[in-house]
Amino acid sequence: MSDIVEQTKEQPAAHPGWREFTFSMKRLFKNPLTIIGLSIIMFFVFLAVFAPLLAPPPRPFDPYLMPHRGWDMTPSPPSAENLLGTLPSQYDILYGIIWGTRNAFRIGLTVVAANLFVGLILGAIAGYFGGIVDEIIMRIGDVFYAIPTLVLAMALVVAIGRGLQSIVIVLIILGWPTYTRVIRSEILVIRNMDFILAAKASGVSHFRIIMRHIMPNSIFSLIIVGSMNVGVTILIAAALSFLGLGSDTGYADWGAMVSTCRNFIVGPPENRLAYWYLVFIPGFTIALFVLGWNLLGDAIRDVFDPRVRRR
Amino acid sequence: MSLLNYIVRRLLFMVLVLFGVSILVFGVLMLIPPGMRVAAYVTNEKVPPSAIDAMIVQYGLRDPAPIQYFRWLGKIARGDLGYSTTAEGPVLKGFIQFFPTTLELVLYATPLIIFVGVWLGTVSAVHKDEPVDHFIRVVSIVGYSLPTFWLGLLLLMFFYGFLGIFPPGVLSESLRDVIYAPGWIRVTGILTIDSIINWRWDIFLDALYHLFLPTLNLVILDSALIMRLMRSSMLDALGQDYIRTALAKGASNHTIEHIHARRNAMLPVITISGVLFAGMLAGMVITETIFVRKGIGWWMARAALQLDVSAIMFNVLFLGAVFVGVNLIVDLIYATIDPRVRLS
Amino acid sequence: MEKLIETKDLFTEFHTFEGVVKALNGVGIVVNEGETYGLVGESGCGKSVTVRSMMRIVQAPGRIVGGRVIIFFRAEDRSRGIDIVDRSEAYMTSLRGESISMIFQEASTSLNPVLSIGYQVGESFHFHRRPQMLKESIEHLDEELAGNLAPLSRRWRRMQRSLLARELREREAYDGRIDEIDRELYKLEEQEGPAVVDRKRQLNARRDSLKEHGALTGMAMRTPFIRRYRRRLERTIRGHVVDLLRSLGVSNPERIADSHPHELSGGMQQRIVIAIALACHPVLLIADEPTSNLDVTIQAQIVELIKQLKETTISSVLYITHDLGLVAEICDRGSVMYAGDVAETATVRELFKNPLHPYTRGLLHSVPKVEQVDELATIPGNVPNLIVPPSGCRFHPRCPDRMDICPKAKPPTIEYTPGHWVACHLYTDGKK
Repeated sequence: MSDIVEQTKEQPAAHPGWREFTFSMKRLFKNPLTIIGLSIIMFFVFLAVFAPLLAPPPRPFDPYLMPHRGWDMTPSPPSAENLLGTLPSQYDILYGIIWGTRNAFRIGLTVVAANLFVGLILGAIAGYFGGIVDEIIMRIGDVFYAIPTLVLAMALVVAIGRGLQSIVIVLIILGWPTYTRVIRSEILVIRNMDFILAAKASGVSHFRIIMRHIMPNSIFSLIIVGSMNVGVTILIAAALSFLGLGSDTGYADWGAMVSTCRNFIVGPPENRLAYWYLVFIPGFTIALFVLGWNLLGDAIRDVFDPRVRRR
Repeated sequence: MSLLNYIVRRLLFMVLVLFGVSILVFGVLMLIPPGMRVAAYVTNEKVPPSAIDAMIVQYGLRDPAPIQYFRWLGKIARGDLGYSTTAEGPVLKGFIQFFPTTLELVLYATPLIIFVGVWLGTVSAVHKDEPVDHFIRVVSIVGYSLPTFWLGLLLLMFFYGFLGIFPPGVLSESLRDVIYAPGWIRVTGILTIDSIINWRWDIFLDALYHLFLPTLNLVILDSALIMRLMRSSMLDALGQDYIRTALAKGASNHTIEHIHARRNAMLPVITISGVLFAGMLAGMVITETIFVRKGIGWWMARAALQLDVSAIMFNVLFLGAVFVGVNLIVDLIYATIDPRVRLS
Repeated sequence: MEKLIETKDLFTEFHTFEGVVKALNGVGIVVNEGETYGLVGESGCGKSVTVRSMMRIVQAPGRIVGGRVIIFFRAEDRSRGIDIVDRSEAYMTSLRGESISMIFQEASTSLNPVLSIGYQVGESFHFHRRPQMLKESIEHLDEELAGNLAPLSRRWRRMQRSLLARELREREAYDGRIDEIDRELYKLEEQEGPAVVDRKRQLNARRDSLKEHGALTGMAMRTPFIRRYRRRLERTIRGHVVDLLRSLGVSNPERIADSHPHELSGGMQQRIVIAIALACHPVLLIADEPTSNLDVTIQAQIVELIKQLKETTISSVLYITHDLGLVAEICDRGSVMYAGDVAETATVRELFKNPLHPYTRGLLHSVPKVEQVDELATIPGNVPNLIVPPSGCRFHPRCPDRMDICPKAKPPTIEYTPGHWVACHLYTDGKK
C-alpha cells in the first residue's frame, strides 16, 4: 500500500511559507506597474542619496538653502547655469528638486513609519482587549477623523509654528486613527478564531498571544495601508508647504517651490507661457514621486490583499 | 429600533464628537502665545502696543486653559462667535459671505465626480484586462497622484495663460459691481441661482464660465478615487454566486452588469460619497486659493497664515459638523437602499 | 427511452496562474427523457465543471476546448440533436432558464441580496415569457378600457396599451427573425466543410447582434417617467410569481415576494432558487449539490419537492452529489466521475449491485455500514493534481487492480453489459 501512497505525491513540496513568498514576489514583479513604480522610487532614492554630489551645496552647513545668483524677482528660464531654470529671486530649481527629495523621503517615511507603529500598538490594544478600552480609543479616533486632515493640519501647524518639522509632527498626530482602525478590525476578526481560543485555553499570556499570533497575521494589512498612504501623506505635506506653512523662502521644499509660481502663471503678452518651467517642473516632481509610491502601493495591495490575490 | 431613535442617537453622538473636536482644536490653539491671540479682539488698527498687554489681561488670555475654554463655550452659547480679522467683521458675517461660493462649487462638482467615477469604473471592471481597462486604471492612478494645486495651476496656465479663456475669480470685473449694488436680491448667495432670480442671464453665464476650470480640476482629481473604488467593488460583485444564478437564468450580460452587479457595487461608493463630499470642502482650501474664489477654504487659508484664531476655530468646527452630519445622512440613505441593513 | 442531452468527448481546461488545469478529460454523459440522473464523485472530480460546460457557464479562466454537447429538446429533433458548443451566446441565453435550469449548492449566496424575491423570480418570466406576459397585460388593459373610466385614466391606459403593443410587435418580429436563423443553423448541423463553418459563424454573429426591441422602445424603457408603462407588465408577472410560489408550497407567497433573501430561512431560500429554476418549465433541471449544506430534515423536504416536480413539470433531473445514499434513493441512472473522467455509467441498481470500476468499488466499500465492526475502508492516496494529471488512466496511482497498461494508455469507455458502461483496462478486451 505504501508505494501507492508514495506515487500520489506529485513533487517534493517546498515549505509553504517560502512558496507563498516566491509566489508573492513573482506576482509583484510580473506587474508592469510595480516595475514603473519601483523605478521611479529608485530614481528618487538616487537623487536623495547622491544629492551632495549632484548638487554641491554652496553652504555646507545648511544644504537645504538653495543657491541663487542675484535677487531678480523674475524667474529665469532654463539655461546653462540653471538647467531647469530658477524661481523668483533666482533660486536654482534643479538644486531645489534634488535636495527636496531628501525632505520628501523624510516626511513620507517618518510619518508613515511612526503612524504604523502607533497604530499597531493602539489598534492591537483596542482590538484585543475590547470593552471600554476599545470604546475610548475609537471615540478619540472619531474625533480626529471628524475633521478633514488638511484643515486640522493647518490649524495645528499654525499653533506649533511653521516648518517641515512641524508638518511631520502634525501629520503623525493626525494620522494614527486610520491605521488603528485597520489593525483593530483585523484583530477583531482573528480574535475569535479558533487558534486564538486554543492558545488562551493553553494559558498563553495576553502579550504572547498578541505578539506571536495576532501581529503576524495583521502585518499584511498594515503593509498595504502603509504603502498606499505614503503618497497621500506627501500630498498633504506639499499642500501645507504650498499654503506657506512649510519652509521659509529659499529652502528646498517642493511645495513651497510650487507656491512661488502664483504670480507668474501668465507671462508677458508676447510669450504667455514664458514661465512654464516654474509652473510645471516642481509640481511635476511631486506628482511623479507620489505616482511612484501609489503604483508600488497598488501593486503590493494587488499581491497581498487576500481577496485580490489569486484573481 | 425605530428610525427616529437612530437619528436622535446619531445626533447626540455628533454633538459629543464636536465637543471632542472643540477641545482638541482649542487645546492646540492655546499653544499660540497670548500676544498673537489677542489679535482676535483688535477690531481696529489704532491700538497702541502698550494697550495690548492690558487687553491680554482683560480678555483673560493668560488664564488656565480650562477656564478659557469654558469662557469660550459660554460665548458660543450666547451666539458670539468672535471677530475675524481676515473677514474684517464678525465671524458669522464672514461665514455668510464666504460659504455660498464654496457650496456652489461643491454642488456642481459632486454629481459630476460621482457620475464620471461610477461610469468609468464600471466600464473598467466590465472590460477587465482589456486595453480600456488598462487605460482607465492608468488615468485613475495618475489622477489620484496629482497634487491639487499643481493640476489647478497647470489648467490655469494653459487655458487662461495661453488660450486666454476661463480666468480665475468668481465673476468678471465688470459684472462684479452688480452684485454689490443695492438692486441685487441676494437669496442664497450662490451666484448661479441668484442670477436667475435676478433675471440676469449674463451673470449666470459668466458665473458658469468661471466655474468651469475649478470644477474640471476637482473632477479630474476626485473621480479617480471613485473610479478605483467602483472598479474593485464591481469586480467583487461580479465574482459573487448570485451572478452565477443570474447567468443560469438566462440573463443577458447587460442585465448582469447593470442590474445585478452594479446595484451591489454602488453600496460602498455611496458610503464613500459622504467622505468625498466632506473632503471636498476641505480640499477647497487649495482650489479656492488658486482660482481666487472667496469661499471658506480661501478664508481658512488666510486665517491660518494670519493667525486669525476665531476664524480658524470656527472653520474647523464647522467642517467637523458638516463631516459628521453628511456621514449621518449618507448612512441613512444607505440604510434605505441596502435591504440588509437594520438601523440598530 | 429517448435521449435528452448528451455530451461527447468533452474537454474543458482552466488557464490559471499555476498552470493549465485539465478539468475534463473527454467526458461523455447521456441523460434520457424522464429520468433522474445522478452524477457522483469526490470533490474536484469535475462534476460541476461538466454541467457548467453543458450550459456553457464555465467560469473564467475556464474554456471548453473540445467535444460536443448535443441537445434533443424539440420534438422534430429526436433523430439528431443540436450541438450547442459553437452556438451564439444569444442562443445560449435563451436556452438557459428556459430549457435547461440549474440550482446550486448555497442558496443563501445564490440570491442577490439587494433585489426582492419577487423581482428575482419574475426575471425568469421577463427573459423567457415576454410575449405571453405582454399579451396578458394588454388583455387586462383591454378589459379595463371596456369599462367606465375617467378620461385621464382612459388616456393613460391607452398609452400604456399602445406602448406595450408596440413592444409586443417588435418582440414578435425579433422572434421571427431568430427562428429563421435557428432553422437554417439546424439544417447546417450535419453538414461539413469550410463554407458551412463560415456560414454558421455568420449566422451566430447575426443572432448575437439582433436586438429585441427597437430604439424608441428602448429609450422609453429607460426614461424615468415614461417607463411607468411597464408597471402593468410587472404586475402581471408578479401575479405569475405568486402563483408559482404558492404551487411550490410557499405559504403567504405575497409577503415572501416582497421580502429579501436575508429575511428567509435556508430551506425557504432553496425553495426560491428552485422556483426561479422552474418558472419557465425547463425540460432539464440540473441540481448541483443543492442539499449538501442543509440539515437532514430540510434535505428530505427539498428532495421530496424535486421528486414531485419531476412528475408534474420537469422532464429530467441531473443530480450532482457525493452522497451515495441520496443517489440510491432518487436516481434512476448515474455516472461515477473521477478526476475529469467518467469511470462508470449504469442504472443505479447495477452500480450498487455490480460495480465494475475499481474506483466505484472503493467508493461503495468506504460507505460505513451499521453492522461494520472493523476498520473503515478508504481509498489510499489523494485526488490528483489536474495540472499534471497521472498519465494514462488517471486513477492508476490509487488502483488496487493496477496493471502494466494502466499508466500508459487511457482506457476506452466500453459497454460491458447492456446499459452498463465502464472505462477500465480490466474490461477492455471484453472480459475480466
